[in-house]
Amino acid sequence: MSFFGFGQSADVDIVLDGQETRKTAEIKTEDGKKERHYLYYDGETVSGKVNVTLKKPGSKLEHQGIKIEFIGQIELYYDRGNHHEFTSLVKELARPGELAQNTNYSFEFQQVEKPYESYTGANVRLRYFLRVTVVKRLSDVVKEQDIIVHTLSQYPDMNSSIKMEVGIEDCLHIEFEYNKSKYHLKDVIVGKIYFLLVRIKIRHMEIQIIKRESTGTGPNTFNENETIAKYEIMDGAPVRGESIPIRLFLSGYELTPTMRDINKKFSVRYYLNLVLVDEEERRYFKQQEIIIFRKADKGKKSTGYKQSRAMQQHPTRPSPSSPGQQKPPQEEQEQATANSQADEKEHNSKEDE
Amino acid sequence: MPSTPQLSPQEEQEKLLEEAFNVVKTQSFQMKRCLDKGKLMDGLKHASTMLGELRTSMLSPKSYYELYMAISDELRHLELYLVDEFQKGRKVADLYELVQYAGNIVPRLYLLITVGVVYIKANELSRKDILKDLVEMCRGVQHPLRGLFLRNYLLQCTKNALPDCETEANPGEYEVGTVYDSVDFIQLNFSEMNKLWVRMQHQGHSRDKEKRERERQELRILVGTNLVRLSQLECIDMEKYKKLVLPGVLEQAVSCRDAISQEYLMECVIQVFPDEFHLATLSPFLRACADLHPSVNVKNIIIALIDRLAQFAQNEEGSGIPPDIKLFDIFSQQIAQIIQNRPDMPPDDIVSLQVALINLAIKCYPDKIDYVDKVLETTEEIFNRLNLDHLEHGSPVSKELMRLMKIPIDIYNNILTVLKLQHFGPLFEYFDFHSRKVMSCYLVTNALENETHIPTQEQVDSLLNIINVLVQDQNDQQEDQDDPEDFAEEQGLMGRFIHLLMSDDLNQQYLILNMARKHFGNGGDKRIKYTLPPIVFAAYKLAFRYKHHKDEDENWEKKCQKIFQFCHQTIGALIKAEQADIPLRLFLQGALAAGEIDFENHETVAYEFMSQAFSLYEDEISDSKAQLAAITLIIATLEKMSCFGEENHEPLRTQCALAGSKLLKKPDQCRGVSICSHLFWSGKISATGNEMKDGKRVSDCLKKGVKIGNQCMDTSVQVQLFVELLNQYIYYYEKGCDQTTVQVLNQLISKIKETIPTLEANEETEQIHKHFQNTLEHLQLRKNNPDNVGPSYAELVL
Repeated sequence: MSFFGFGQSADVDIVLDGQETRKTAEIKTEDGKKERHYLYYDGETVSGKVNVTLKKPGSKLEHQGIKIEFIGQIELYYDRGNHHEFTSLVKELARPGELAQNTNYSFEFQQVEKPYESYTGANVRLRYFLRVTVVKRLSDVVKEQDIIVHTLSQYPDMNSSIKMEVGIEDCLHIEFEYNKSKYHLKDVIVGKIYFLLVRIKIRHMEIQIIKRESTGTGPNTFNENETIAKYEIMDGAPVRGESIPIRLFLSGYELTPTMRDINKKFSVRYYLNLVLVDEEERRYFKQQEIIIFRKADKGKKSTGYKQSRAMQQHPTRPSPSSPGQQKPPQEEQEQATANSQADEKEHNSKEDE
Repeated sequence: MPSTPQLSPQEEQEKLLEEAFNVVKTQSFQMKRCLDKGKLMDGLKHASTMLGELRTSMLSPKSYYELYMAISDELRHLELYLVDEFQKGRKVADLYELVQYAGNIVPRLYLLITVGVVYIKANELSRKDILKDLVEMCRGVQHPLRGLFLRNYLLQCTKNALPDCETEANPGEYEVGTVYDSVDFIQLNFSEMNKLWVRMQHQGHSRDKEKRERERQELRILVGTNLVRLSQLECIDMEKYKKLVLPGVLEQAVSCRDAISQEYLMECVIQVFPDEFHLATLSPFLRACADLHPSVNVKNIIIALIDRLAQFAQNEEGSGIPPDIKLFDIFSQQIAQIIQNRPDMPPDDIVSLQVALINLAIKCYPDKIDYVDKVLETTEEIFNRLNLDHLEHGSPVSKELMRLMKIPIDIYNNILTVLKLQHFGPLFEYFDFHSRKVMSCYLVTNALENETHIPTQEQVDSLLNIINVLVQDQNDQQEDQDDPEDFAEEQGLMGRFIHLLMSDDLNQQYLILNMARKHFGNGGDKRIKYTLPPIVFAAYKLAFRYKHHKDEDENWEKKCQKIFQFCHQTIGALIKAEQADIPLRLFLQGALAAGEIDFENHETVAYEFMSQAFSLYEDEISDSKAQLAAITLIIATLEKMSCFGEENHEPLRTQCALAGSKLLKKPDQCRGVSICSHLFWSGKISATGNEMKDGKRVSDCLKKGVKIGNQCMDTSVQVQLFVELLNQYIYYYEKGCDQTTVQVLNQLISKIKETIPTLEANEETEQIHKHFQNTLEHLQLRKNNPDNVGPSYAELVL
């Protein structure tokens, strides 16, 4: 923050209360680097001190007032000029006047509502920051400091498994089950795939986690799909009656909670994509949305818990006749052309060895 | 594009393998470097990259195996490193979870197994749960080759880590598990591996079927290792094997419906588990055998089992087969069931099974002949049902049947025991002519080697019925099939065999001979030449035995007479078969025998035999050499006999002299008369029992000999005859015959000395010369060492 060579200037910095003990979190920046900031939760008070340090001791700083703002905003990359602020709180720190010496001001935003989670995506960014402005005639002294907000969810009351039978008539019938429909960020997806009919020569099978970021509304909706995870769960061709275990640890991947219609600006959704590839490179897949949420940390888990987690298995084969959850078999065969975007992305990675 | 030279499949494999080895080398080096620096996560990444090589589909099973071995060697470093770290207390939190982040399943599972075993060795977490998890997660690899090796890795790594105790040793948070968990673990791994192994068969082109079968055979040990592992669990006792282990294995084997697998697994079960277990589970095992795929060679499986148990019965001292296990009955029933279940089973396989069964019976129940007989009966029934007959010699089924039937012969080494087998003889009927002959010779040879006597008429009868092919012509015999030498050898065998037909009881012996005579009498002209003479000899021998035991049997004389009648008639049969030499000799032998055995009328019988010999001589023998030989024999026989009175002896000896002098050739005449001289010297008359010592007649004979000798044109023959005559003279001179004087000797010597130099020098004259020299030397010796008793040689001129 450099200024012209004349007149008094000042460095402004913000020291948050309890900074030494506050947790930090990482977030990606637009250019893919990672930054670490202090972590806050919804409803938490954001308070601290603003230090204004004069650059030229002995000289006075004239100002039109000093204020601090707490801002939550959504930036859409294709509409850079327009930031949508969904939260904007202001506190006045000083009335217009003169500063003759270094001064600090306490501030407090009590129990601030922070409804959304910080997010940096392909087309959109949601950020929270504090902004201190020392208003001056020519140019203001502005200091911004980002904070990161994590939204915590309670463990959902209803978390039924995803169970489905799909297939292509006389060709392939499978039944799969994921143990839940809602997973927290460090959760394990456990499931089973049961082969009811196999008439194609399957080469391998994998589970993908696809993240879909939608921005805009109506006809101006942009969808961005990204394959977050590709996890091979079967090698070779099974025969009828075979059941293949699934166990996928989410902690290995960069995930965010599922976000639905955030301030009517964007959504981030996650899908589990079960993909079977046959010997002719044909791909058969079935996508299922899963909800990802952030769970409040309950402190360190016992190793016993870790063990059962590392070895968790789906107890039985999904029963083909469980009523209510069964959907009619869907043909989902994808032949070369469809969904080529996703395909091309995949080809960049390890699969082509 | 640069053209690449076409590589042969083998070169292709070598190239691929080399590339893979290079990756393994580099990555394992990096891995170890990272581990040395304590960078575990980086080390794991290199391990994972190395393991990525095992994802290939390009390698043949053999090459893949080599790659697998190289990589599992390297993984051992990782395992050792981790175990070491854990022991030092530097355990890595959540390692079991961390390795599961790997995106590809094959490297992921290899790492998971490696880490899982480290946890087990470090007593981290629950061993029971880890094992269960590992074996379950391996389901993700469904590719047969990769899956087999992955699960083999699991099996290798857990080798010494399987819980092997009856009850949970650590009933706390982390369960160690019990032997039951180990059984579940291995059995799941086993059935999954077997499924993968079977599935290999159904992949790829059908034209590569044989190649695939070969490759599968190379891999079978991987599947079998599961069973080995089961057998190594010490807590598995008979009860657990019966209830837990075997049913699972059999269920998998039967349900996979794959011949290669079934055959291997069943044999594997037999080999790896102890005999006691097999004994306790025979029925389920054999029932499973009956359910196997039709193309499975069940025979081999059952034979393997029987061989093992049979050996067990013999090896194990004292214990043997528990009496409550009816081994034979079980096998017998189950084999019958198997044969019934498999209508397409080749007959030779059926017989092979019976062979195994008979082996079992003999080895486990050596005393139970009826078991052996039962097998033979079953075999016969099967042949009947299959309408098998005249099994061609050399065909598989014929070979097997031969093997079957040789077993009791070889084992008992006593054809009398073999005869007790009711169904042994009837089975002979299923062979063709040639095989029957081979078998009969085998049977007879066995009897000869063991000198087994056949002591009753009935046994002789049934035995000769069995080996009928050697006794008489057969309906299915092909003309002129036999090589004369083979025939002679085979009939010679029969000749020897007849001497085994022997009873201690004389009357029984007589019946035996009659029975043999009846059978062999039908043998045809070619055979009786070999078979009747031994019967006749045996009969003479029997007569001597009667004489020896005459005090015990008052009818012995009549019986002897009957025997001689029997012989007479038997010899008659030979004469009818246009034999002369043999009957002549048999008569002479008979005459000798009759002469010695002084039963009533024995002189008459002897005379009859002598006169029969004479008639044969006169009527049937025309060849001059044979004539000389025959008359020599007749003369010698008569000379030996002492049973004739003058009225019988006189015509006989005269006849001899006459016959001798009537021979056609001069040398023969010469020899005939000179030999005849002995009848007059040492021949005996029954009345006196003394030798005749008729010097004059001796002298006459010899003189006649000299006279005939002089008539010979060939000087060398002449000299030869003179030397022979000289020897005759010397004999009589030494015996003190008055009519033989030194002068006669001198005459003859000088005569020979005159003539010898004129002979052409050749091999023959050399012989003559030598004979003469020897004779002279003998005389010289006599002359130089006169003794008091013998005649004087003083005047001899040498």
